[in-house]
Amino acid sequence: MNRANEKTSRWQTSRGTMQFMVYAAVCLAILLLPLVVQDDFMLNRIARYLVLAMVAMALSLSWGYAGILNLGQAMSFGIGSYCMAMALKLRTVPVHTGSDGLPDFMVWNNVTQLPWFWEPFWSLPFAILAGILLPALAAALLGWFIFRGRVTGVFVAIITLATMIVLNLVIIDQQQYTGGFNGITDLAQLELFGVTFDAYSSSTYYLVAISLTLSLFFALAITRSKAGLILQAIRDQEQRVRFFGYDVALFKTTIFAISAAIAGLAGMLYTIVMEFASPTFLSVQLSLSIVIWCAVGGRQSLLGAMLGAILVAGVQGALSESETFLDTWTLIMGGLFVLIVLFLPNGLASLIDLGRRRVRTPKSPDNRVAHSAELKEDRT
Amino acid sequence: MDFVVQQFVTGLSIGSILLLVALGLSIIYGSMGVINMAHGEFIMLGAYGTWALNAAFGLSLFPSLIVVFLGVGLIGALIELGVIRFLYKRTLDTILATWGIGVMLQQAIRLAAGGELRYVQMPPSLSDSVSVLGTDVSAYRVFIFLAVAVLFGVTWFILYRTSAGMKLRAVVQDPAIASSFGIDAGRVRTLTFAYGAGLAGLAGALVAPLKSVSPEMGASYVVDAFFVVVLGGVQSLFGTVASSFILGQLTGALAFWQNDTVAKALVLVVIVVLIRFRPQGLFVTRVRT
Repeated sequence: MNRANEKTSRWQTSRGTMQFMVYAAVCLAILLLPLVVQDDFMLNRIARYLVLAMVAMALSLSWGYAGILNLGQAMSFGIGSYCMAMALKLRTVPVHTGSDGLPDFMVWNNVTQLPWFWEPFWSLPFAILAGILLPALAAALLGWFIFRGRVTGVFVAIITLATMIVLNLVIIDQQQYTGGFNGITDLAQLELFGVTFDAYSSSTYYLVAISLTLSLFFALAITRSKAGLILQAIRDQEQRVRFFGYDVALFKTTIFAISAAIAGLAGMLYTIVMEFASPTFLSVQLSLSIVIWCAVGGRQSLLGAMLGAILVAGVQGALSESETFLDTWTLIMGGLFVLIVLFLPNGLASLIDLGRRRVRTPKSPDNRVAHSAELKEDRT
Repeated sequence: MDFVVQQFVTGLSIGSILLLVALGLSIIYGSMGVINMAHGEFIMLGAYGTWALNAAFGLSLFPSLIVVFLGVGLIGALIELGVIRFLYKRTLDTILATWGIGVMLQQAIRLAAGGELRYVQMPPSLSDSVSVLGTDVSAYRVFIFLAVAVLFGVTWFILYRTSAGMKLRAVVQDPAIASSFGIDAGRVRTLTFAYGAGLAGLAGALVAPLKSVSPEMGASYVVDAFFVVVLGGVQSLFGTVASSFILGQLTGALAFWQNDTVAKALVLVVIVVLIRFRPQGLFVTRVRT
């Protein structure tokens, strides 16, 4: 028995190392890409996909690992992108802004003084902090109410979605402070530590790639930690974990906030890459896309979700050259999503996993876990 | 005093529309545990159905209602048979699947009818305003209020006074035992889903003359429906009514003070705070899972 245990744990370590190696290899490939791709326009495009990959990875952290289906993931993304856009707007050369550095759209809307919540965004460090902490705080507050109330499952999904839609409506409605439907455009370029981040340059690409790598390994570290195990236990049997004495609501709120923080960071990068912020960054469409990327790639795999985003967004980008095809694309995407949910609930990542398991370990401990998961599903 | 009455009537009008758009969602969730994310798109289909019937055959609103109810109900039945049937054991995944279906419906309509705004004529007999308790209200809104009352009455009657309703309640309580008594649980669920979808279609047809019709119109209505369901809980029909009434009055009052959008945001805040203390909704005793 003891020997068997030892064998199992050794197998698990080697599997863990392998996972680490795969993650590192993918990140390395991403970081080395500019050596191959010289075209700035192409680099900008790929950087965009990487940002989207980051927000999909953040959703995988809360949905795949803690079972919190956040349909309003784009809300955090949007808050982050607006924080960055506000700071960059205030840095625009005076030609584009009104008197006293007032943003142009405020002048058009007869606003005479910079509103108080714009003031702190004169400071870039504040904006960057806000872009990460504001989404995290919003998520923590919402999470505190939801999870302390022990609301689970579908209700979490519809409350997060409703919150995002309402924030979107408010941003469009408060045109004089937010730029309304058009969003915030005509932004300055970000300057940090003496480097100018032009959207169409390798510097921005590296900024995105490095942020993605760091946040991916940060997320990986969380899933590997004891807290990560508890979160997965909560996902599978919430009540039992509560009986063990863990503060389930605290764990859920925390991971919800961390996921939001990563999404907020991604949103800030998106503003830099796209050179504007708009209400479409926190729209239902984007939120749905994020969920689809996760589902296609594999919600329970950080890397899977990431690659799912790059794959799907990449195909969409390639097809978007022709207008008619883009229309049908949405139809195909919806259909594909339904099929994946029906037949491949753990996405493409589960295909790889399945193959490996069949070949190498017909009776691995994972099989037992999978089996008990099936049992649980039968009961509910 | 006049002002209070006026606000009350406005709130009542808003509440009746809330109940109208939430009823179908609430019935489907209450009986199957499925949150139908395509609900907004069913509403949209109903609105487009009314528009198309009018544009193609010159049909006015009232006869369209029947066609729309049956048509959207049929689409709902097909969706239940084709997709949702296989997901009853994975309720969280039904959200995803119905969301995907919603996107497809929205895009299909955009391709078929174009993305531009469409307008549905109000029946001429209802385009005037009438005086209710000393307040001028458009006759059409009074009509909606009455229509909702009738729809609610019919739904209540089907659920609690017919054998079909009894079968449904049996399946909700215990599908296995219901089946062993010879009830075809699958058929009951298909019909329930179809009925809920049909109600959403009717809602779409009825709200179509109030606002413009567009492929994206479902999103804002579905949020209203979510609010009603989250606040009211779904175990009883009366919870849905009471919750619609409260939300209607609250929205009316807040919209008077600020604008519609800010009112919606404040209502959301109220609901989120309430969840902390009454997670099961205001009008039920069981905790939702």
